[in-house]
Amino acid sequence: MSARRDHLTNHPRDGAMGAMRRMTPMLLLCSTALLTPGSALVAALAVAAAGAPAALQAQEAQQARQTQHRVTGKVTHAVTGLPLEGVTVRVQGSSPAATAVTNTEGSYTILAPSLTDTLVFTRIGIVRQVVAIGGRDRLDVALQPAAVSLSTVAVVGYQTVATEKLTGAVTVANVNEITATPTNSPIKALQGRVAGLSVTAGGDPGSTATVRIRGTKTLGNNDPLYVIDGIPSTSSAAQQIKTEDIQSLQVLKDAASSSIYGSRASNGVIVITTKPGAGQPVKITVGSHLTTSAYATRLQVLNTEERGRALWQAAINDGVDPTNLPIYKYDWTRNPNGTATLNRVIVPEFVGDTSLHIGAANTDWYNEITRPGRIQEHTLSASTSGDRGGALLSLGMYDDQGTVNGTEFRRLNGRINSSYNFFSKRFTVGENLAITHGSGIPMPSGLGGNPLALGLIAQPILPVRTRDGAWAGPSGAGFDDRDNPVMLIDINSWDRNTSLQSFGNLFAKYDVTSHLQANARFGVDYENGLNRDIQRRYRAGFLRRDVNSLNDFNYDNSSWTFNSTLNYAREMGRHSATLLGGFEAVKSDFSNQRTYREGFAIESRDFFVENAGTGLQAVGGDRGGYSLASFFGKADYDYDDKYLATFTLRRDGSSRFGQNNRYGTFPAVSGGWRLSKEPFFPSQYLISDLKLRYGWGKTGNQEIANNAAFALYVPGYGDDKTWGPSNASAYDINGQDRGTLPSGFIRTQTANPDLRWEATTESNAGLDFGLFGDKVTGSLDYFNRTTSDILIRPAYIAVVGNGGDRWANGATMKTSGTELTARYEHTAGALTLGFAGNASAFRDRITGLPAAVVRSYPGNGEQTILGHSVNSIFGYVVQGIFQDAAEVSAAAAQPGKAVGRLRYRDLNGDGKIDVLDQRWLGTTSPKLEYGLAPGASYKAFSLSVFLQGVSGRSVYNGIKSQTDFTSIFTGANFGTRVLDAWTPQNRGSTIPALSLSNTNDETRSSTYFVENGSYLKLREVVLGYTIPAHALPRSMSALDGSRLFVRGGNLFTLKSSGTTLPDPEVPFAAYPLPRTFTVGLDLAF
Amino acid sequence: MKLTRNLAAAAYGVAAAAALGTLLSACGDFLKRDPVGVIGGEQLNTPTNVDGMVVSAYAALGNDHWITPYTSMWPYGDVRSGDAYKGGGGTGDLNDYNNLEQFVFTTPTTGVLDQMWFRLYVGVGRANDALRRLNEMTEAEYPARTTRQAEVRFIRGHFYFLLKTMYNRVPWIDETLPVTDYERTSNVALTNDALWQKIADDFQFAAANLPATQAQEGRVTKYAALAYLAKVQLYRAYVQNDQHTVTSVDQSKLQQVVQLADSVIGSGKYGLTADFAENFLWETEKNREAVFKINMSLADGTPNGRVDMGNGLNYSMAPGYGCCWFHIPSQNLINAFRTDAAGLPQFTTFNQMSLVDSADYWTSSVDPRVDHTVGIVSHPFKYDATFVFQPTWARTPQVYGTHSSMKELQHPKCSCLMAVGPFWASSKDIEAIRYADVLLWKAEALIELGRQNDALPIVNEVRARAASSTARLKYANGTPVSNYNVKPYTAASWTQEYARQALRWERRLEFAMEGSRFFDLVRWGVAAQTLNDYFAVEKTRHDYLRNAQFTAGRDEYLPIPQPQISFTQGLYQQNPGY
Repeated sequence: MSARRDHLTNHPRDGAMGAMRRMTPMLLLCSTALLTPGSALVAALAVAAAGAPAALQAQEAQQARQTQHRVTGKVTHAVTGLPLEGVTVRVQGSSPAATAVTNTEGSYTILAPSLTDTLVFTRIGIVRQVVAIGGRDRLDVALQPAAVSLSTVAVVGYQTVATEKLTGAVTVANVNEITATPTNSPIKALQGRVAGLSVTAGGDPGSTATVRIRGTKTLGNNDPLYVIDGIPSTSSAAQQIKTEDIQSLQVLKDAASSSIYGSRASNGVIVITTKPGAGQPVKITVGSHLTTSAYATRLQVLNTEERGRALWQAAINDGVDPTNLPIYKYDWTRNPNGTATLNRVIVPEFVGDTSLHIGAANTDWYNEITRPGRIQEHTLSASTSGDRGGALLSLGMYDDQGTVNGTEFRRLNGRINSSYNFFSKRFTVGENLAITHGSGIPMPSGLGGNPLALGLIAQPILPVRTRDGAWAGPSGAGFDDRDNPVMLIDINSWDRNTSLQSFGNLFAKYDVTSHLQANARFGVDYENGLNRDIQRRYRAGFLRRDVNSLNDFNYDNSSWTFNSTLNYAREMGRHSATLLGGFEAVKSDFSNQRTYREGFAIESRDFFVENAGTGLQAVGGDRGGYSLASFFGKADYDYDDKYLATFTLRRDGSSRFGQNNRYGTFPAVSGGWRLSKEPFFPSQYLISDLKLRYGWGKTGNQEIANNAAFALYVPGYGDDKTWGPSNASAYDINGQDRGTLPSGFIRTQTANPDLRWEATTESNAGLDFGLFGDKVTGSLDYFNRTTSDILIRPAYIAVVGNGGDRWANGATMKTSGTELTARYEHTAGALTLGFAGNASAFRDRITGLPAAVVRSYPGNGEQTILGHSVNSIFGYVVQGIFQDAAEVSAAAAQPGKAVGRLRYRDLNGDGKIDVLDQRWLGTTSPKLEYGLAPGASYKAFSLSVFLQGVSGRSVYNGIKSQTDFTSIFTGANFGTRVLDAWTPQNRGSTIPALSLSNTNDETRSSTYFVENGSYLKLREVVLGYTIPAHALPRSMSALDGSRLFVRGGNLFTLKSSGTTLPDPEVPFAAYPLPRTFTVGLDLAF
Repeated sequence: MKLTRNLAAAAYGVAAAAALGTLLSACGDFLKRDPVGVIGGEQLNTPTNVDGMVVSAYAALGNDHWITPYTSMWPYGDVRSGDAYKGGGGTGDLNDYNNLEQFVFTTPTTGVLDQMWFRLYVGVGRANDALRRLNEMTEAEYPARTTRQAEVRFIRGHFYFLLKTMYNRVPWIDETLPVTDYERTSNVALTNDALWQKIADDFQFAAANLPATQAQEGRVTKYAALAYLAKVQLYRAYVQNDQHTVTSVDQSKLQQVVQLADSVIGSGKYGLTADFAENFLWETEKNREAVFKINMSLADGTPNGRVDMGNGLNYSMAPGYGCCWFHIPSQNLINAFRTDAAGLPQFTTFNQMSLVDSADYWTSSVDPRVDHTVGIVSHPFKYDATFVFQPTWARTPQVYGTHSSMKELQHPKCSCLMAVGPFWASSKDIEAIRYADVLLWKAEALIELGRQNDALPIVNEVRARAASSTARLKYANGTPVSNYNVKPYTAASWTQEYARQALRWERRLEFAMEGSRFFDLVRWGVAAQTLNDYFAVEKTRHDYLRNAQFTAGRDEYLPIPQPQISFTQGLYQQNPGY
């Protein structure tokens, strides 16, 4: 008897009680109906009932001599709200240890030496929690599930399922790990935290992350589906959720798990559940996090004198008289043997025409456009729950003043989640509603790019302002048409994008019988936004804009979703089964209007309204939408918790497809085997848990234009001709030169009534394990996926002319990969050590393309993209630099070959360098991505570290054409690398000789530009201090989560020594990922 | 208890089934989302809408851009001919055009060539779409039917002419060919002459069915069609073999050229403008020299006007412009304007001395057309004595020198000029065929027919107009900018050989920087020699040309874009040498 009890305590998951606890909420409600005399279940219950008091008695006896304070309470699961059994409760620092274990009701009683003591709650699969008793004699806690665990629950596919019963590849993210991260998007903070989830984001305030689950699957949209509180939604809604409001977040990676979401699930699914009301009587939390940020890396560019020197060298190399160079003058000599020597670069007093008063300067443009950034986050929530329901009110404010001048993003979040119970909790109705207001100044874009790009390429000789205080700009010979980046920021500072998003749902659930539950949800996602673009007049050097204008873009996106499910669950002896059936309807609409006005007499922010303009006016607008209707069913069966099986079927209809193929069917089947439960399984401690999983499923993708199936003509009066040819249909046939023109129609698309779903089939084999009594837990997955009928809008033969665009089901891609997740936790006295790690490796390749479009991808006639990753780089191989004339003449025929120039390898050995001398140079998708999170806590202190990295990734570093060459963008600034370029005196250099003209076509795709993009980053270090209850006033008894922390973000990067990239993660002139320091205070009472 | 539960379950089940059933039956409608703001092809077959489709075909004439310039053709006709350097921010700025200039790196995968091919077939496609609808209508339904058919065939002929002269072997797609056969139609399905005949047929039909004048001045006329047909027959007259060598000159075609040109000349509707400048100024764009004109407009309700974006890169860094200084006259071209004491060109010695400084324009005498064509340091620009060309107007003088083009640029103060992003463009109409062209085609045909004496007065008519076009070429104090000296040729030395040389020279000067030079050289069969002679000297002036070389038998035509060969699974045949 006693041995059995110990076993229960050590491995609470095993045995009949475990089966009870693992049942879905609905199953528990009906558990009494299963209790037939003589069943194993009853026996186990009796054991448990007897066990708890027995333990308590022993404890009492042992500690009778001391002064004891009895503390009781109830422990519940924070996600499900169900009682948590088998939680070990320990008085911190007590010796001998005072411990207790919760019973089936989740209740515990413990005798603590003092009411100022602190209790520690631990259980496998649950985040360890430390709570000060704070003078109370009753302490109820809700515990969070750990991210990787075999014994928690996951919200997947319209159901809550115990993760140990899962047969697909699902990862429950540990949301607690990311609450210290200063970010506008909870998804961004997950970078590197979940195996198989790739998150990439720049440092731009307000920008959202790009999310890929298991790499690239299709040639079109690769964004996963987000399901928020049971409502399928968009990335935009998900990335606006306040991290603190998230109860649980799970990533459904394989088709077997996600196919219940059918038509939109092929890129994986991220299921987010927001917090319900919890806390008695009322739990209040307040938090403030303050962050400073600064750019961590930058490209090194030349100063005024250095740029003059580089140009001089280029002219000398070319045999061009440097006197002909614009901007600079030189004091130089040529000795009798022909060697030229530069004595001094003479910088003129003025740049360009002296009448412009642009005094020559030595401007560090990057410094001029950057600043220390600052992020503030403030949160406040009130939460309550009771027998008749619960409510949560949560408010948040996020304000990011980015490291680039003028960029900012502010957001206000409000959320009300509430639920009401009737008929002894058999009927529940409620709502989750989030309202978000976002407001930001978008990064402006001008001639030559955004201020960041311009900050690197603007010539240092230009000052920010002229001697008269006006904006300086490119002037005269030797300059490109590039905007002054400081000016660009200033004249766009009145631009603003604002949006108001309401996302929420009403839900009802009814326990029809003890086995049958009905659910219904109606969700609404509505976003209204205004992008306001004010173009002010300016004059800077030879650049100018004489007409100011206002461009307002107003948009409405709305969609509603209705879904309803019936769940049926039954246990018969060792057999247990659940059935789910349901339907879902989605209707999504968008509309937008653009208004444009020119000619505003006064340039002040508030004067820019349409009515105040006197010049040209124009309007535009569009609307459209799509609908989806779906039916789905799912059956789960398990025998004795050992053999698990799941079947899913979904049928989806979409308005986006041709009428001949409107519906698609998406089946899935998966199974699991818990080896560790077999009698023959040897050790219960060394390998404490082992489950094998296999799943196969099919999912769909409908991410194409709403009108994709139709033949379309549009009245295309006129269009913007700035950057490309026009498709206008208006012509000045009356020769009036202005006024309204006669116009016609243009074909824009060819019909395809046979357009159908893009389908992904995926098989996944997995292994979940627990070692050393579940001290180490983890899982290993291998998947193999084929996406076929990929929706493409291929390039088409030119003779078709306008409107040859036609959506078609064309390509095939295959992806396979492996993921490993592991977690370790060890407690020794007051010290707890933990480690979480994950790694994933994928390989994707295109295996099929219509013959006519293969050549639209890299390749050269002999070689095609087929069999290679869609992210592959193709090009020439650089074989060093020609050192002398003999080498040049001996080499293969290469137009433009000369001493000091790049030498390309004659790959096919035919004696000439041409398109056939190219090969595959690498891929921009990493071979391996990983995250490592060691952590430790000691008493009230905790330290967590997070490292993230990618390896086996190539980057096409196109910016080298600016940093390494003076011949490509001659009017821009160059990188400091040009100072080390090849000369007869510097033969060791790998940078080709400077020149004023690119006679060797060195910008061609080649190994010269392909760099190792691997990196390992110290993403964050957080040092936390849990605030003890006695440090707070009595009335503010700290519940949990009261803490003070400091955090450093993006602290250190390891990269390949061969790479010239300042930060391989954001290779180009993208918004740099800042280094951040955060101080945060969170109080809960 | 159990019974009530089961009853409740049953009730819910029935309700749910009913709801599902309702949804299922409603699904058909629920999933039917018809597009908004667009129409289907059949709805266009009404007289009003077909008229719109014709306008849409016209619109294609001016829909080009500096990526695909086909109204001005400067990268294809001038940069490839030795008349112009690419210009811009360095050789790497629009590298594809640099490759065109040097004839070394152009390949079937050169991006702009595929874009250009596509844009030209967009024009063909719009014409075919309109024609297909016109052919379905009766004269009763739509009285303008035949005229419109003729207009549209003119437009189609124009696009095919551009395709033919650039790519040579192009597939003929007309309105009778079903779309399903497009990918099965080879670019060598027709012989060289058969393809020319198709193009000629379009202009022949247009000439036969168009009125002499149109109520709307933007529509093409009978004489525009006759003139274009003359141009087509002149190109056809020089018979090329597969290596692009001119093997013979077809005398009967030349006869036709003379007749066609005479019809235009005899109409009396056209003539040379009094001053050469009138062809290059917006203020005088409606002039009697314009035979075929592509109309531009601004403040017309489109986002940035229907302006001549084909020239969008060519404005200099001058105050009032600001970008991007492409299309720079070559030193060789500038030197060609030098005249001798007799006021005649220096055929053999012109390039032995360069016109560089302002003083050089007084040491030599020059043809006044140089100051209509080239922006020259310290010379007034665009006929404004207060707007004097400065060295700082050049963007990369270390590579391309300090000149700029002028004909296609409009004065900063012109109300026709507008900024489109960083670029500049005007609503000046493009004169695609000038009367001077018709005259010189006729003269060329006459000379090749051995009737050079009949050609002499024609060439001299053009020269006389040049000689008298100096009124606008003055400094503020009224003195002439350069030492102008142009005289007519005399009959004394006017042999066929001399006349041919004089005619070709005259075309170069008259149409300099107007995008036709390269096509003239190929037509005459002298491209390889002319360009390699040019590079031999010009590379000593501009180091970036050090590798430039013209390969005869290949570089006369552009490669067939590789993507198009791929679309046809190799049915299209590549041009020789690529």
